[in-house]
Amino acid sequence: MNIIKQFLFSFLSTIGFAVLFNIPNDSISKSGIAGALGWVIFYITSRYLNNIAGTFFAATTVGILGELLARHYKKPATIYTIPGIIPLVPGAGMYYTMLALIDNDFVLAANKGTETFFIAVAISMGIIVSTFLSRSIKRVKYKN
Amino acid sequence: MDLYESNRKEAKQLLLLATLAGKIMLKNGAETYRVEDTIERLCRSRKNIKYADAFVTPTGIFLSLEYQGEMMTYLVRVKSIKIDLNKIDLVNEFSREFVNSHMPIEEGLQKLKKINKMKIYNGLIKASFGSLACAFFSILFGGTFLDFISSYIVSFIVLMTIDKINKHKMTFFINNFIGATLASVLSLFTIHIGIGQNMDIIIIGSIMCLVPGVAVTNAMRDTMSGDFVSGLSRGMEAVFSALAIAFGVGMVLNIYFKGLIR
Repeated sequence: MNIIKQFLFSFLSTIGFAVLFNIPNDSISKSGIAGALGWVIFYITSRYLNNIAGTFFAATTVGILGELLARHYKKPATIYTIPGIIPLVPGAGMYYTMLALIDNDFVLAANKGTETFFIAVAISMGIIVSTFLSRSIKRVKYKN
Repeated sequence: MDLYESNRKEAKQLLLLATLAGKIMLKNGAETYRVEDTIERLCRSRKNIKYADAFVTPTGIFLSLEYQGEMMTYLVRVKSIKIDLNKIDLVNEFSREFVNSHMPIEEGLQKLKKINKMKIYNGLIKASFGSLACAFFSILFGGTFLDFISSYIVSFIVLMTIDKINKHKMTFFINNFIGATLASVLSLFTIHIGIGQNMDIIIIGSIMCLVPGVAVTNAMRDTMSGDFVSGLSRGMEAVFSALAIAFGVGMVLNIYFKGLIR
């Protein structure tokens, strides 16, 4: 039940970001589904592992779905990836790091700051993995 | 001789067309390899151009092509970067059409100019959907219905203000700084008048419309395709946007917690 709720809210959230970045009408719902699936993966995996691993799997999912949709509909992959990536960006981590710095609690700030940094790295790794997969598939297809 | 002249003029126009297409894509947040690829495809689609090479960075496009032993070079400086993914898609479709048909270059230029002026959603729709996204995000973070409403109001005002500031062509740092400051001030205000309940969640939700998601994505995709200059500079853009947001929020919270605002 909770997962369905998360899926619905993240779907609506991703659609909002899609309109903010001027994504064409017919691609909005598709990018919304990619983003919502990514968020659900994040929600499930971050419970069993941690936030960093969850973000990595979520970003990889969004990236791969984006590449597949891009191939199918012959549009740039970023149209489907970017709105799905935005909810994963560690805005909360940035906020809590700043809050700890203001409290002069440098241990907590270092803690939160490191987590934020590694979440950003995890997003990058997810994008790298999905891009790499699509590139290598393309290369294999060219050779044959 | 007459034939030669007209063809040479056409080659020059093709140069202009290719750089215009590249400029539209780059300005609206396309990856570097896509811009280079499009420019080269557009140039090579016409008969007597054997060699065409483009070097694209996030701040400029360099293009040279060879026409019957003569080198032609053109460079464009790209300044403002805003995100409009629809235009990338339209230019992509245009290049596919241009390469696979015998479209006159003049007509192609007209089409590109039309694409450049196009607006798919106006500012009001963008702001209302963007703030809807932020509001739903605050629910994802465990906010209540009242937090949803206050996050919606705060981010709507922030997005409208940024839209207004953007017309004066400020740098992204100032934009994000003002946006984050405004978001935290307004969030504190909603708490003060009793609409909002959780300060953390409202602020986090409202700054989500400012985070540099496009820059992070494009930086990584550029680096992976071997465009290290673009990857590094886009990465710097992402880092500094994040810093601007953090400074904006931090400044307001510092003043608030030190008791200067009551």
